[in-house]
Amino acid sequence: MSSIFAWTIQIILIPAISPFFIGVTRKIKAKFQNRKGASIFQPYRDLWKLFHKDEIISKDASWIFRFSPYIILALTIIVGACIPLISLITKNNYLGDFLVIVYLLALGTFFLALSGMDTGGGFGGFGSSREMTVAALTEGGLICSLLTLSLASHTTNLFGIANFGLSMPLQYLPSIILAFFSFGISLLAETARFPFDNPATHLELTMIHEAMLLEHSGKGLAMMEWAAANKFVIFLALAANLFFPFGIATDISVASLLVALLVLVVKISILCFGIAVLESFTAKLRFFRLPDLLFTSFVLSAIAIGLIF
Amino acid sequence: MFEASQQLLFVLGSMVFIASVMLHLAKKNHLAVTLYVVQSLAIGGLLLLSLLFDFSYLLLLAVVCTIIVKGVVAPYFFLKLIKQNKLQFATSTYLNTPLTLVIVALIVVFIRTIFWNALQTFDGVNPDLLLLSLATILVSGFVLINRKGALSQILGVLSIENSIVSFALFAGLEQSPALQFGITFDILVWVIVSSIFVTLIYKQFGTLDVTSMKKLTE
Repeated sequence: MSSIFAWTIQIILIPAISPFFIGVTRKIKAKFQNRKGASIFQPYRDLWKLFHKDEIISKDASWIFRFSPYIILALTIIVGACIPLISLITKNNYLGDFLVIVYLLALGTFFLALSGMDTGGGFGGFGSSREMTVAALTEGGLICSLLTLSLASHTTNLFGIANFGLSMPLQYLPSIILAFFSFGISLLAETARFPFDNPATHLELTMIHEAMLLEHSGKGLAMMEWAAANKFVIFLALAANLFFPFGIATDISVASLLVALLVLVVKISILCFGIAVLESFTAKLRFFRLPDLLFTSFVLSAIAIGLIF
Repeated sequence: MFEASQQLLFVLGSMVFIASVMLHLAKKNHLAVTLYVVQSLAIGGLLLLSLLFDFSYLLLLAVVCTIIVKGVVAPYFFLKLIKQNKLQFATSTYLNTPLTLVIVALIVVFIRTIFWNALQTFDGVNPDLLLLSLATILVSGFVLINRKGALSQILGVLSIENSIVSFALFAGLEQSPALQFGITFDILVWVIVSSIFVTLIYKQFGTLDVTSMKKLTE
């Protein structure tokens, strides 16, 4: 019974809670801007509304544009089910490898960029171009930050890394701290947050992620927005459970699973608060300054690896 | 000396190392001073930890004086200097941020490959800790080389001093209260003199960027 409960949570947790944390982040940002802000449940209402609207598809669009929302949403749900969330019991030996996770997410980015270009619109084209530039530069920092954890724990499985983190010798602490900074920069780049992108604007000079979604409407747009929310929470959950794995359940009892769920929600909320603070107090960087920041992420990981070897 | 508290030593050693790496990334002088305070408090923690093994009231007084000078008096002078001369930003470096970090990475790899075998020969001392503090000394030295601002260079010198203290503590070198008082007094005098010197330089040249001081002979 407990096993069924654990697996059910593992599979549905990310898609179920991702709009909530988007709402929480927006609410915190609104408070910093002296606004009341929409309800933290507004993203659920937005998704509900979009799922009930008709979809308009350009006559120039190919199957890539039609299927991309399904593919991208499915990929984020699969990834969400394969990363450590509340329990180490739901270990996945095949899809739980960090390289598999990184490249499944990269596959989603690839289809997102393709769908942006598919209709031939100018906005979609430059959005895709910018997205692929940022994505290509982000991969190095992201992989190396996870590689640092992998080298310390002698496993590439994310559940194994989380398990190692529960009893990590503190000789790895400086490496882990540097890897966390590196992962944080990659998180902001991959989830289209400040200082890489502004998720609240449709200004042509600055937008990256939103530019690729402009041609989508109705159900397609709902799936794209949901997938973006899923990706955001996937990265937050990875940050929470790989770098601060305390609270994750190591047994299958319902009580420990509920405690682990509560701890995960608290950890993700704290990270959301951190991101909202960052977005409220920093300016978006110019596009040509982004490679510097992404290379900084990569080199921070290289320093971390240098300390371990 | 420290076998029982190895884990705590790693926490404090990590704070000292990370602070020296972050000194390279700090774009504002306020942040650089804050990082120095964090580093100094970590050194204070290491000194207090050493007291647990070799307690004397005189040494305790020396440690408290060190913490006050490094954690309160020196930052007070620096913050006053920043406020008086409106020195909020310290972005001037010879190398850009990624290249700076590449050099830091090379320093870490250099220490790891060249000194690792030599560090293993210290009896009863964790070589990882010594490696961390050696890397901190060189990374702090690189702050001194890479920054153009005089205030950042002063912080670089003080960061080197902190990292040498951490190396001495990790290596288990004994400290006497008289030596500790002497070092603390030296730091206090040095901070005051350098603050006055920097103020005079700023009045004369209107900047603390060392590359802009073309007429030092006048």
